[in-house]
Amino acid sequence: MLGTTLLAATQLELGDMLFVIVAFLLLMVILWRVAYKPLMKVLDQRADKISGDLDGAETARKEAEDLSQQRQAELTKTRQESSQVIQQAKASAQKQGQDLLDAANERATAIDKQAESDAGKLKADALAQAKDDVADLSVAIAAKLMKKELSADDQRSLINAYIAELDQK
Amino acid sequence: MDEPTATFSFWGLTFNWTTVISTLLTMVIVTLIAVGLTRKLSVRPNKGQNAMEYMLDFTTGIIGGQLPRKMARQFGLFAFTLFFFLIVSNELGLFLQVKMSSGVTYLKSPTAEPVVAMTLGLMSLVIAHGMGVKSLGFGGYLNNMLLKPYAWMLPLNIIEQLANFLTLSLRLFGNIFAGEMLLNLIAENLAWPGHFNGFVTILALPLEMVWQGFSLFIGGIQAYVFVILTGVFIAQLSGNE
Repeated sequence: MLGTTLLAATQLELGDMLFVIVAFLLLMVILWRVAYKPLMKVLDQRADKISGDLDGAETARKEAEDLSQQRQAELTKTRQESSQVIQQAKASAQKQGQDLLDAANERATAIDKQAESDAGKLKADALAQAKDDVADLSVAIAAKLMKKELSADDQRSLINAYIAELDQK
Repeated sequence: MDEPTATFSFWGLTFNWTTVISTLLTMVIVTLIAVGLTRKLSVRPNKGQNAMEYMLDFTTGIIGGQLPRKMARQFGLFAFTLFFFLIVSNELGLFLQVKMSSGVTYLKSPTAEPVVAMTLGLMSLVIAHGMGVKSLGFGGYLNNMLLKPYAWMLPLNIIEQLANFLTLSLRLFGNIFAGEMLLNLIAENLAWPGHFNGFVTILALPLEMVWQGFSLFIGGIQAYVFVILTGVFIAQLSGNE
């Protein structure tokens, strides 16, 4: 059978061989146009897309990480700031209270002093008044007793001398 | 082999109707499948595209296992076309054969014709030798083909190259031809030898089915082997073993 096959191939089948070759090449062209080229394009596109998606995912992950770090930092900062504010408010409130207290104390002291000085003055006034009254009264008594007209000024100096004596005792 | 054939002449060349019709029908089927499965291509593949991509991946893988990456990409289309054409033509005759009352079979597997198998083998080897000359230069190609691994193996190497052609072509032809011949024998001698054959006809049906299934398997294997051997020859002859 091998012999006849080879013989046949050498004898008449050149036309068939050419036909098969041409048909195969034509089929190759058709498949190239219809399937191979578009499929390769799609495969390349898919490969590109996958690698692009992977890159994108990596970038997005990094971005998210950065954002989370930033948020954490901002949170810490905010916390510090708020505690600072609270402390400041406390301090200022304390200071204000102290100020108020001091002012009140001062005021009280001033009022005290005023009252004291007022009282002293009143006492002095009253004393002076009393002295005058006593002098006048003594003159009047003396005048009535002695029926003798004595100058008021002489009487006053005399009485003052008595009172000074009294004071010293 | 001694069956009558119908031929016609064109431009002084003789064409065999069986070869012409079978090859053309195979081409049409391959084209229709390819067009049908790749109508709507997208990055997210549908069913048909998946099947096509799997096949492309498969043939690229066959060649890629033999050749360096760059060369494999060069032969992607050839391997794809070769495998697609071979698998369709190997299976064609299993379910579709047209035999006229004159005894001429007008339609069967094209690869069950020795001339088709040999032409395909010749084409593969021409490409392999061409790649050898292209990548090694003519001297280097001869040296690599004939004097490796030892110079004294020259006669063996010459025989090997001739044998390569015959084994590549005749393995394909023999497997497919034998498969179809047995199918025909079962059909013509057991199932319907001109009349209803009683119990034997009924028994012949499962037998035919089993043999068809086996031949289907053989046809796929032969297409695969043909492509893988093409890759091996290209690798051998261009010094990329």
